[in-house]
Amino acid sequence: MSIRRRQVLSGATAAGALSVASGLAKPAIAQTEPIKIGYLPALTGPSSSTGIGINRGTQLAVEGINADGGINGRKIELIVRDTQSDPTKAVNAVAELTQRQKVSVIWGPLNSGEALAATPLIARDKVPMLHPCWVDQLIDVKKYPMSFRIAPTNTQVGVGANHYVVDVLKLKKVAVISDTTGYGTASVETYVPMLKAKGADVVYSGHVDAANPDLKPELLRMQNAGAQAIMPWSVNAGFLSRILNTRGAMGWDVPVVGQTTLGSGQTKALLEKPENWNKVYSNNFRNCCYVNGKLPERAQEFVDRLRKAKIEMGDTLLWWIALGWDGARLLADTFKAVGPKAEDVVAYWNNLKGWPGVYGTVTWTPEQHNGFPDQEVVMCEVNSLRDGAFNLAPGYGS
Amino acid sequence: MLASIVSHGLALGAVYALIGITYNVMFSASRVFSFTAGMLGMLGGVLGALFISKLGLPAIAGFVLVLVCGAVLGIVTEIVTVRPVLKSIEQHLYVLSTLAFALMVQQVTAIEWGTEAQPFPRLIPIGPGWLDQQFWLPMLACAVTIVGLEFLYRRSLVGRAFLAIAEDSYAARALGLPEQRLRLASYALAGMIGTLAGFSGAEMQLAYFGNQAVLNFYGFVPVALGGMGSNRGAVIGGLALGLFQQAANFLVGGIFAAVAVFVVFILVLLLRPEGLAGAASARRV
Repeated sequence: MSIRRRQVLSGATAAGALSVASGLAKPAIAQTEPIKIGYLPALTGPSSSTGIGINRGTQLAVEGINADGGINGRKIELIVRDTQSDPTKAVNAVAELTQRQKVSVIWGPLNSGEALAATPLIARDKVPMLHPCWVDQLIDVKKYPMSFRIAPTNTQVGVGANHYVVDVLKLKKVAVISDTTGYGTASVETYVPMLKAKGADVVYSGHVDAANPDLKPELLRMQNAGAQAIMPWSVNAGFLSRILNTRGAMGWDVPVVGQTTLGSGQTKALLEKPENWNKVYSNNFRNCCYVNGKLPERAQEFVDRLRKAKIEMGDTLLWWIALGWDGARLLADTFKAVGPKAEDVVAYWNNLKGWPGVYGTVTWTPEQHNGFPDQEVVMCEVNSLRDGAFNLAPGYGS
Repeated sequence: MLASIVSHGLALGAVYALIGITYNVMFSASRVFSFTAGMLGMLGGVLGALFISKLGLPAIAGFVLVLVCGAVLGIVTEIVTVRPVLKSIEQHLYVLSTLAFALMVQQVTAIEWGTEAQPFPRLIPIGPGWLDQQFWLPMLACAVTIVGLEFLYRRSLVGRAFLAIAEDSYAARALGLPEQRLRLASYALAGMIGTLAGFSGAEMQLAYFGNQAVLNFYGFVPVALGGMGSNRGAVIGGLALGLFQQAANFLVGGIFAAVAVFVVFILVLLLRPEGLAGAASARRV
């Protein structure tokens, strides 16, 4: 019997109709298959210290959720793509995760440089995105309606530091200095008007090449102008350590208040004397700071859990691990409440109020996708590092 | 203020002068302006910190190893980036080949060593103040280098052969001098001087991969100021640059200090293109 072209075509049509019908009626296997989360940490490369810390919390949370049976019987599958601290790699990974892997949400990228490149693509592919990056422009409910931030913005970080200097330490004459990078200059341009608006007298503001080995002229200028506090904005440990060493060599007992790198191990390694780290206060987060030697209850429970799981804390920061944990837990709570459909996830997040994370308390609205509360951005004493956490800086109420 | 300008300025200037001499030694042997000088300076600091701080070698052994590594890198530079382009030197392909090699080495350093500045050990525990090694070690290194080079070039047969090659490589070859081996030796010597610059200045500038670009540029300025090929000019230009830069830091500060250096550099080149110590080249007509 010969097979005619029309028979073949009609057979194909029938098969197509059948497959559409079977697609509409969801097979049982779809209800048990894992929920895919695209995860974009920088685990290698120059910006990887943050990613490595956050990854410990994320992996611990996902392992715990899956060990407890998953989300309504479905396991979570983290599809990890190391961005290698490279925006190009992050962009390539986004294309794979959204188009080939068809992930339900994306957690990350974890660094602003990569997030700036990846966010428009994730928005284009209409995949909900949760990230912890600080650059203000990464959240825009009109341009990126599915993008949500679980961490503070750069503006909030500056507000926290300015509040500490002006309102807590009651210092009015402030010197603001940065390196000549985009981050440094933008920070000074943003934070100086904010300081002035709070009534502070900015007696010195300037940008200095981070490679300049001698910062004594700049510190003398600050001292001569009557500065009562120095606020450096830079992620360059060499630059920051030079400020602290010069201050120490001058015997100038002025507080230094600024970015988290002030309290990093790299900065500490470059200090000429350990005392040069005294009266240095860096940004941190209230839930992850010691108050009178104790962590808040939620953070202490988390630290106990980390110890039980033998997670290393000494070589990283508690708030990084807590942030990773919060990201994964928030995603799990979302899937448990509304499932993994993109529109349901976004609708749930748009009405999230006071979600109690270890790192921070998250609240979002349809108009505001920056979820971190101002009052939880605090300053800490950098020379008090213990198990990845610092003492709350003096002057805050407990 | 004056003490700080003099101590920091002379120390920085000595590092710049040594990098300038590195440029000169390579240029004299090959007529190639090799942009690996800053790379050698950067590696002097990084390798010194690696050998002494990380691997725990005695300071002397670490220092000698740094110089050996510098010599090897100089030889590799000559073989990989200079020799292949010498035949078409008028096309200035060496700019690309030496710069590409330097950038590759810098990237490998960033990956293996890290992108954060790391401390360089204090080798001689005296100071603080102007007795600190960060001030006098670069000046001592610069003085030893310039005296050593003067002795080599004026008092030794090998040094005279170097000068012959620098003066006229064709004539030197015609006289039976082994031009290729002498060029290799010059690049090895330049490698040692470049790493010595970085090693001696690393307590001040830290062991940091980003020092490469800074040293490449600020090491070039004394060569331009002092005249291509003139080591004495490079020393005078380097020390003057260091003092001027440090004075500008105090007087105008911030990014304006760097601008002041560039302005003076451009003015000198406009007024004396051959450099302060160089002679205007005559053109055969």
